This record gives sequence, structure tokens and C-alpha cells, in this order.
Amino acid sequence: MAISAAPLSLLLTLLFSLLSPSAPHLLRPRRRPPHSRVPIPVWRHPPLRPPRLPLPHLRRRSPPLLATHLLRRRPAPRQVRTPAQIAPIRVRPPRLLLHRQQRPRPFLSLSKLFFCDLEFRDAQSSFSLFGVNALPHIRLVPATARNLKDDSHQMDAGDLSRLAESMAQFVESKTKLTIGPIHRPPMVSKTQLTVLIAALLIWVPFVVKKLISGDTLLHDPKVLLAGSVFVYFFSVSGAMHNIIRNMPMFMADRNDPSKLVFFYQGSGMQLGAEGFAVGSLYTVVGLLLAFVTHVLVRVRNVTVQRLVMIVSLLVSFWAVKMVVSLDNWKTGYGIHMYWPSSWQ
Amino acid sequence: MVGKVEGANGGVKSAQCGSKATDLSASNTSCFSLKTLKLKTKQQELLIRVSILCLVYILAFITRLFSVLRYESMIHEFDPYFNYRTTLFLTQKGFYEFWNWFDSESWYPLGRIIGGTLYPGLMVTAALIYWSLRFLRFAVHIREVCVLTAPFFASNTTIVAYFFGKELWDSGAGLVSAALIAICPGYISRSVAGSYDNEGVAIFALLLTFYLFVKAVNTGSLAWALASAFGYFYMVSAWGGYVFIINLIPLYVMVLLITGRYSMRLYVAYNCMYVLGMLLAMQIRFVGFQHVQSGEHMAAMGVFFLMQVFYFLDWVKYQLNDPRLFEAFLRITVTCAVGVGALALGVGTASGYISPWTGRFYSLLDPTYAKDHIPIIASVSEHQPTAWSSFMFDFHILLFLFPAGLYFCFKRLSDATIFIVMYGLTSMYFAGVMVRLILVATPAVCLVSAIAVSATIKNLTQLARVKSKVAHTGTGKRNFWCKGFFEGEFPYICAHIGSNMGVYTVLHLINLCLSRGMVLLHCFLVPFTCSVDMPLIAHGSHQKHIHLPQLSWLQGVLMVTGSFLMITVKHTSGSGKNTPQDAKVMSWWDYGYQITAMGNRTVIVDNNTWNNTHIATVGRAMSSYEDEAYEIMRSLDVDYVLVVFGGVTGYSSDDINKFLWMVRIGGGVFPVIKEPDYLVNGEYRVDKGAAPKMLNCLIQSPCQKEQLEDE
Repeated sequence: MAISAAPLSLLLTLLFSLLSPSAPHLLRPRRRPPHSRVPIPVWRHPPLRPPRLPLPHLRRRSPPLLATHLLRRRPAPRQVRTPAQIAPIRVRPPRLLLHRQQRPRPFLSLSKLFFCDLEFRDAQSSFSLFGVNALPHIRLVPATARNLKDDSHQMDAGDLSRLAESMAQFVESKTKLTIGPIHRPPMVSKTQLTVLIAALLIWVPFVVKKLISGDTLLHDPKVLLAGSVFVYFFSVSGAMHNIIRNMPMFMADRNDPSKLVFFYQGSGMQLGAEGFAVGSLYTVVGLLLAFVTHVLVRVRNVTVQRLVMIVSLLVSFWAVKMVVSLDNWKTGYGIHMYWPSSWQ
Repeated sequence: MVGKVEGANGGVKSAQCGSKATDLSASNTSCFSLKTLKLKTKQQELLIRVSILCLVYILAFITRLFSVLRYESMIHEFDPYFNYRTTLFLTQKGFYEFWNWFDSESWYPLGRIIGGTLYPGLMVTAALIYWSLRFLRFAVHIREVCVLTAPFFASNTTIVAYFFGKELWDSGAGLVSAALIAICPGYISRSVAGSYDNEGVAIFALLLTFYLFVKAVNTGSLAWALASAFGYFYMVSAWGGYVFIINLIPLYVMVLLITGRYSMRLYVAYNCMYVLGMLLAMQIRFVGFQHVQSGEHMAAMGVFFLMQVFYFLDWVKYQLNDPRLFEAFLRITVTCAVGVGALALGVGTASGYISPWTGRFYSLLDPTYAKDHIPIIASVSEHQPTAWSSFMFDFHILLFLFPAGLYFCFKRLSDATIFIVMYGLTSMYFAGVMVRLILVATPAVCLVSAIAVSATIKNLTQLARVKSKVAHTGTGKRNFWCKGFFEGEFPYICAHIGSNMGVYTVLHLINLCLSRGMVLLHCFLVPFTCSVDMPLIAHGSHQKHIHLPQLSWLQGVLMVTGSFLMITVKHTSGSGKNTPQDAKVMSWWDYGYQITAMGNRTVIVDNNTWNNTHIATVGRAMSSYEDEAYEIMRSLDVDYVLVVFGGVTGYSSDDINKFLWMVRIGGGVFPVIKEPDYLVNGEYRVDKGAAPKMLNCLIQSPCQKEQLEDE
């Protein structure tokens, strides 16, 4: 959804719920009762309305409380603007549009919810109005809201990663709206898929022929070796963990956001970069051992041998030391001796 | 109780003394014979090898005894209690009763057909050991047998590892791998004394099956293939992890076919193993016809048919003698075979004859599957993905040796080394997906690392030996790679150029082992800590009995899980300290096995999570308001609710901690339960600022009261 695409999350997404007891006259659907539970399909893209077109209801009526508030805070409003000029709250092309079957004519009148993005650069004071101190930040402002900070609902920051579903869930739980199925265009369209399958089918006999004749990459032990070392590296570095848990490569430090944290303290959890760093240390040491005992002996120059040997010794010493100390730091589990009590 | 414990310790001691005695006699004979009998070098080597193996055998056993030595001989954790209960039943009532056992004490009102829903290998093994000890007039209690089963099988695993290593590389690698597997933390943590679980015997069975199969492939002997089929049968009877074998072996065969290593040996080994193993495995009721019906086993069947096609083609080629005719024939046959296979698979799947893959299997192939779709799998801490620190804890130095071992295996590719490489890589991948599968990867990692160690050391010693004879050598040729590593000109080249290499390599190894690693110490600390986790909690708890004077039967639970609360649902007339014999206890499924095994009371759900709806009902009851929960509990005929609460004692893994999973699992079946209702701004809070629904749900309200009273 929109949130992930925002430039480094300098973004505050506001959801305005216009469906509230205080503003029942606003945007009520004509044929349906206001609280219809008919699932309304959600279209993620494309935008059904030109992005820069101001919302019609802003033209017609006095905007809801929040909107006016924000509008007035817009930097340097020198002239009185007609509502048609209002685009300070850059009204985001609605990615999550509520509409009904016979669109498009009256569909805006059905909108019980609309979206807007705030850029930090443009509207710093608005940010402080909402008391935002971490981004991305998603907030639902009901039309009844008197106090922006207290009356609006913030979406859990942890849910942001789950995107569309969590957004729908959030909106559903906070408003009476029902959000219909989320349409996700598949990665490959049907025609592409047919082409791909056809290509695959054509390609298979050639592969089988090559396999039988035995001159593929698969028959080259070096490629296989590289592949298997990669598999080893992949699993040891906890890459599966990163994929399953959606772990980021690094985090910003909580105390000092300008710093980056690469290592997470505490066992059972890791950041991406951390795992890869440690995994490569393992791999380097292991391969150095193999290299020293099986390749280096072929070198005829004794000085080179000695030099490489010393370097590899130092490197592996450093790597092992590094891994063990990292492990001790991370898990708090250190190996210690049980000395006789008289020795202490 | 005390007497029994002493008996067990006595038994252990006697076993140790016995082995020590044999050891002493072995060393005596070696001293004696070395001087007088003048053993030949080969005999000396054999003697040393056997005595090392004996020592390793004993080491593997005694390393796992810390828990018994420090505390007492008792069963640990959750599942082992169930296994213990069933073993007790088996020894008391006999095999047929056990086989047909319908247990009405668990999964109340549904009950559970125990005989048909468990892997009986572990219980039968323990019972056999028990009966044979009885027959030999050793008066042991079945519990002692259960406690010591896992260490005993770990010892046996070392022997298998020795033979496997010998088959893969040489006897040196075998010895090293036996030593490594004896002390590898990843294996120790699942096989300490008292951890009476399927994995204890299953790793032995797994390694045995693999060893016998590789042996069969190497020799082409029907006898070894038969043995491997029986090993597979034992594995199937012991653990659900047999699915790994039945998929890895076909994959291995497939790779051999692709790389052009098809041979008659392979044909004999695989066919015999597959056909007999399948027939034998069908005798286990829990597995039944899955071998021919479940999607997880279809790979093996496909490869079986492929082998027949290969053999048939070979035969036709031999008969035809005409390459062009043969090619045409080949084309038609292969197309037909593939088409028929695909058609059969499609029809079978569509008609529902072949069952689709299970969730656990899916979650291995597509690791994010479980997180999104099966909360009951995702909620188990053993099923979490592995972070690097867990690998480090369980493998330690072996991780550094593994890539080197891989390299050596690739440099000397044979049918056997291909197998170990594939076993190592697949199991490593699976270990990355789930923490508990580190256990499956352990033998492979030990073997590959052993190859690395053994090959390096052997290289060195050969250098040292050759150095003296070096004077008369000629110069080596460049293409010595084509030959075996330790034959031909290789040592001479080495000796010629690297007279000082040995020192460096030794330094390298020592560096690895000792630079702050202290691997051995780590390996011995692990069983120490493994044994601690359970009783340590009892130390920290105050063991308060404020609410529950009548619950002494649950003291076992108290010991294991800190402190708990018992909510009486119905007024029962039972006077005295115990709950009535027929009381039905509702608790979260984690405690089910323990309540039935220790307390002998009926539970609603337990750790055998076969019925998700039933568990979800309990989760719903736990997370509903008290009045709603009361209705659900009445419908389930519940008398008591057991809630484990660690707030007083500082036990962190209590039910409040697990509560969100109850909500998720409950919500998965009953959409009335919604996770956001229990969160405050997306945050899980359990203090006064918690969500109102959270504060008033069944599980939380007594805990809150307890906490407040305490304050």
C-alpha cells in the first residue's frame, strides 16, 4: 500500500472517517442505508480520479474540522484560497477506495473514508498537532473528533508491515465500514503466464537432453560446491529467520535515530545484516581451512606459502574470536571454568 | 520413591563400573600384549580404535546424566509425560491392550484412540528393555528405564556414527564423528536423561537407516538393503520425522540418476529398501496407507517407477543393439512414462485419493506459510525460525569445520559422499526454518565436520611420515587432483615443498579449537544447563498454596510450571484434599499431558494437537468474558480451569504470556474473538492499563485478582 512507498516514511497518513453521527448529511449514499454491511470491494490501483483533483465535498461544503485545521496551518497562506485550490493536504489518489457497483458517477458520494498524506517538510505543525514522534504513522480521524490528539485512533506501528490486510482490519475495527475483498493484481498476468508455460514446455526437452548427455552446470563439481557452500551460508546466517519474521537489515537506534543498529542483543532474534556478517565469518574460516590444507600445498614458493599461511591463521583467529565474543554478547551465555574455590 | 531413585543410580553406577572394568581390562591387555605378544601395527591400531570407541560410548552416556545426578531421576517437560504414561500402560496391560487403547481421559468429550494416533516405537523399545531387565532379574522401575532410554540410545548412535563415518571416508573420520556426536550440544539437548521423547530413539534410527542404505548402495547387497528397510521401519515406528528419510533418499537417488551414477547397486538398494520399507511402515497404524496415499510420500513412489523405467531402458538397449531404434524407443517410452505419471498424480490429487501435503510439510517448503495460515504450528516455540545464535549454541566449532568438510567431500565425490553432502545441506536448510530440526541436522554436521578434521589430520600425519622418505622422490605432476588425495604423488609433493606446512596446519587447528572457543567445555556445559531448566523454576517459586489447598495432586505441575490457579467451575461435592477422580480440567493444551500423567485427571485438550477446533474452543473460552466462558465450559462439562500464573513467582512463560496465542488460535476458528480487542494501541499490556476485554476475560481476571491481592 501507499505507506511503504512513501519516501523514507516522512509521511503521515490520515484517514478521515466521515461516517459519524454528527455529520450524517455528508456523503450519504443515495440508495443504500447508511450502515449497509454490504461488502464494498477495495481497489488498490489504479486511481479512479485524477490525483490532483480536490475532493468535491471540499468544494461544496465546509470541510470537516480536521481539514480546516490543517489547511490553516499551511505554510504562508498569503491569499484567501477558494476550496478548489486546496491541495496542501496532498490528497492522495485513493488507493483504498470504497465504491459501489454503479460507479463512477455517484461513487464519491459513497466515500465514507478518505485518505490524505502529510509530508513532514510541508506541515511540521500538523505533526505536532497529532503528537507524532515516530514514522510511519497512520491515524484515523473521525468526523466527530474535537481534539485531534485524543479523539483520533492511531494504527499500531507494528501492523504497518502487514499493509493492506491490516489497514482494512484497522479501518473495520474502528469504523462501521465493511471493506470488501482486496484485489491484488497477480504478479504475472494470464497471458504472461501462458507464454511462460509455453516457453517452459519448449525448454524442458532441451534440458532433459542436456541432462542425459551430462554437460550442464549441474555436472560441474565447482558449481555444485559453490552452491552447497551458499546453502550452508544461507541457513547458518539465519536468512530463513529474516524471511519468515520480515526482519530488516538494520534498525535505527531508539535513543539516537541518526545511528544505525546492526546487532540485536537477545537470543532467538536477529537482524538481517548481523546474520550475514556472522555467516560469512563461519564460511571464511571453514574455506580457509580447506584452502590451506589442499590448495596452498601446491604452491611451490615457500615464502608465499608462509605468508598466506600466517595471514589465514590471523584471519581465522580473528573471525573465531569475533564470533564467540558476539555470541557471548548476544546471548549472555559465556563459557566459564569451574575453578576450585581455593583458587579464587 | 527414594529407593527407586537410588536403584536407578545404582543401576547407572553398575553400568559405569562395568564399562570401566572392561576398559581397564582393555588397557591392561594392551600394556600386557604390547610387551609380550608383540602385536602387529594393525592389531595395535584396532585395539586403540576399539578402546576409543568404548570410551566414546561411555562418554555419550554419562554426559547426559547431569540432570539425574543433580536432581533426581524424573521425566522432563511436556511430551515425555505422555510417553511415560503410555509406556506404563503398555507394561501393565500388555501390548494388545495398548494397541487398542481408547483414552477417555484426554480430549474429553471426544477421547483419543491412543494406539492409532501415536508412534509406538519409543514405548515398545522402553518396554522391551524393561522386560528384558526384569527377565534378567534386575528389579527396576519402568520410570528409570524411561529416564535412561535417551542416553542409552545416544550411546548407540555414536557406534552407528562410527560405522557411517567409516563407510563415508575412513575409520579415522568414523572415530571423530563418533566423538563429535557424543558431545554435540544440538543432540545432547534432546537426549538428556529424563527427556523421554521420540527424538531420543529416532535420531539413532535415522542415522542407522541412512548408514545401512549407503552401505547397501556401496555394496549392492540385498542383505544391507533389507537391513536398511528394517531400520526405516524402526524409524517410522518411532517418529514422524521419517518423512525426511522418505523424501531425502528418493532425492538422492534422483541426483545419482541425473549425474549419471545409475548402477545396479543403486537399483537393488533402493527397490528393496522402498518396497519392504513401505510394506513394513504400513504396519504402523498411525502411518497406515499414507505411503501410497499422501502427497508427502509421492516423491518416493515416483522415483521408484523411474528406476524401473531406467532399468527397463537399459535392458532394451542391451537387447536392441541398434542406437537409432533405441533412441526412438527411448523417446516414446520417456514421454509415455512421464505423461502417465503426471496423469496419475493429477487424477489422484483431483479425486482426493492422494491427500495434499500437511501444514507442517508446507511450512518447511514455504516457510512463511505457517505464520500466516496455521497459528497452532507457529505458536510452538520449537517451530520458530533459527537465529544464528542458536546455530552457534548447538553446533559451535562444527560450524567452522562444515564448509571445509563440504570441500573435502566434493574433492572426493563418491556415492557415499554425495549422500552426506545432500543430507547435510537439506537438513541445514530445514534447521534454518525450524529450531527443532537442528536435531536432524546434527548427525550430518558431525559427519561432515569429522571428515574435515580427519582429512586434515591424516594429511598432516602423512606429511610427517613421508618427510623422512622424501629424498628419493621424483617431482610430481600437475594432474594429481585426478587421483585420490592421499595416494600417488601428492604426499611427495607436499613433503617436497611444505616441510614446514605441518606446523602451520596444526597451529591452525589448535587456533580454531582453543581461541576462546573452549568447545569441549561448552559441550559439557550444555547438558548441565539443559538439565537445569525444569527444576530451576521450582527453586525460584514461593510455592504458594493460598488458593488451592485441595490441589495437592497437582504438585507436580506446580513444580514444573511455577505457580498456577485453579478455578472451580462447578461445585463438586468432593471433600478432602484432592479433586474428585472424575474431575474434568480445562487448561491450555501445553499442560494437558502433564495433568493426565501426573494428576490422573481428565483434560479437554492436550499436546497432541489433533483437533484444532477443540483447541480453538478452549482458546475462545479462555479469552471470553466470564459469563460467556461459563456457557462454553458447561457445554464441555468442565469442572476446573487450570491457569498457570507466574506473576507471583516471576515465572515468565505463564499463560498470560501465551495468551495472545490462545486469542489467535481461538480467533482462527471463531471470528468473534478478535486480536485487536486485547491490545491497547497495538501493544499487549497486562497491567492496569490493559484492554478492558483483556482485563475481564476468563484467564485474566483471577490472575489480576491474585496479583492485586499480593500487592
